[in-house]
Amino acid sequence: MAERYYELSELEAKAPKLFGIPTGTKLDEMFYKIEQEGDEYVKKPLGGIPHLAVMNVTGVPDSGKSVLAEQFAVTQANAGYKVLFVTVESPANFLYTALKQKSVALGADFSKVEKNIVVIDASESDELRENPKALLDTMAYAIREKKVTNVIIDSITGLYEHKEVMARQIVRQFFNFLKKWKQTAILVSQKRSAQASESAEAAGGLAVAHIVDGTIVMDKKLIETRWDVSLYGLPLGSVLRTIRIDGCRLTAHDSRSWVFEITEMGTVEILAPLSDFIKKKAR
Amino acid sequence: MEVIATPKGGNVDKMAEKVFMESINILGGLKKLVEYRNLTWLPSLAEAAYVVVLKNEVFRSYGEIAKELGITEQTARNIATADEERVKRYLEGQLDEKPNEHIAGGIAKIAYRKLKEEGRLDEEEVVMAQKEIEVLDIDWAVHVLARIKGLDFPASKEQIGERLQGMIVKGRAIEEILDEIAYPVKSPAELLHKIKEKLS
Repeated sequence: MAERYYELSELEAKAPKLFGIPTGTKLDEMFYKIEQEGDEYVKKPLGGIPHLAVMNVTGVPDSGKSVLAEQFAVTQANAGYKVLFVTVESPANFLYTALKQKSVALGADFSKVEKNIVVIDASESDELRENPKALLDTMAYAIREKKVTNVIIDSITGLYEHKEVMARQIVRQFFNFLKKWKQTAILVSQKRSAQASESAEAAGGLAVAHIVDGTIVMDKKLIETRWDVSLYGLPLGSVLRTIRIDGCRLTAHDSRSWVFEITEMGTVEILAPLSDFIKKKAR
Repeated sequence: MEVIATPKGGNVDKMAEKVFMESINILGGLKKLVEYRNLTWLPSLAEAAYVVVLKNEVFRSYGEIAKELGITEQTARNIATADEERVKRYLEGQLDEKPNEHIAGGIAKIAYRKLKEEGRLDEEEVVMAQKEIEVLDIDWAVHVLARIKGLDFPASKEQIGERLQGMIVKGRAIEEILDEIAYPVKSPAELLHKIKEKLS
């Protein structure tokens, strides 16, 4: 009979090592661990999202979720790791162009990136989009055959967009699957118009946020009043983008909102904590 | 960048059917089975074919396989871990005693490996002559298992009847056979055995 309980000490050998999987953004420094050095405890950046974490990236439309996911894919593929990119929204040929552009912007070797990314195109296959079992079997095939270590699903909400009551069940299946296959993963999730833009909530309610290991919230604010202009020091009509680690059960993290930009080349560049940004602009 | 645009490993029923047919081939073909009155092996072979495919092609855990097929986890494990070489030697008459292995499991594993090595598992066509099997009326076990896939057991007459509706087994309407067996049926394996009893 399978063991149903463990003594804590028995789990030591099974516990995953805590280290970061780089995303190619400043997020890598925003996750950290506390280590003892002599008598002191010091904060050490993890260098990426925690290894084997399943992270949720949520935000309103055009807040940069896919840009971040693609940047993570290119960074990992360029470092020689196999990435499985499940595209539910954008057809694979469009994804190809986006990844190629990002490789140029990040100074990555595209021939290497191209070789290390496997794409499952669920955007154009009803069977893969509508039948979680078919998609999971296909992902298992890709992970096993291609020796994948990182998975991106853009977007998980696309798998239950017309059946949100199923959200919890579907997200749980994918989460358990990713754990079973020891993957570090990013699940992109979309918000509904009624949901607060700065919260971890997404389509299906808090289903994704509750189940996964952590959530990163990306937000954008249109500078539309005189008050906004004086507070943020940005011209009327411009856009202020923020990113925040809403929570992560695997490691400590910075919990502030940070200002970021999507550069002309289409990459995420995290600039400064929002509070510092405001202070600097006010000067 | 490799793009996978169609589902992989999805058609478990087709693959299990192929493993089942190939297993029969390994045993010397249907005729030999009929001659030696070994038709009782067929339900076990059908079950083993499903276990081997679910384990190796869609990576189900023993718990999941047990639930899906209505067998115990231990049976699923015995099938999937059967030592096929020992089973092969036993079938070839090289062993004096029956080995302590799941025989049908070993045969299904040999069949699976053969199909995989020859690249026939993923092919569209069923390997063995479908006509021959239909004429002999012995493919019913696979079809019954395929139709009741996902059904929760114990199952009532209505639930089973709904799935098997319209099937003809050895020239008899399934509805007629289902009228004669006792309910609830505890597992797919029990259903196969009960149907078989009514056929003999």
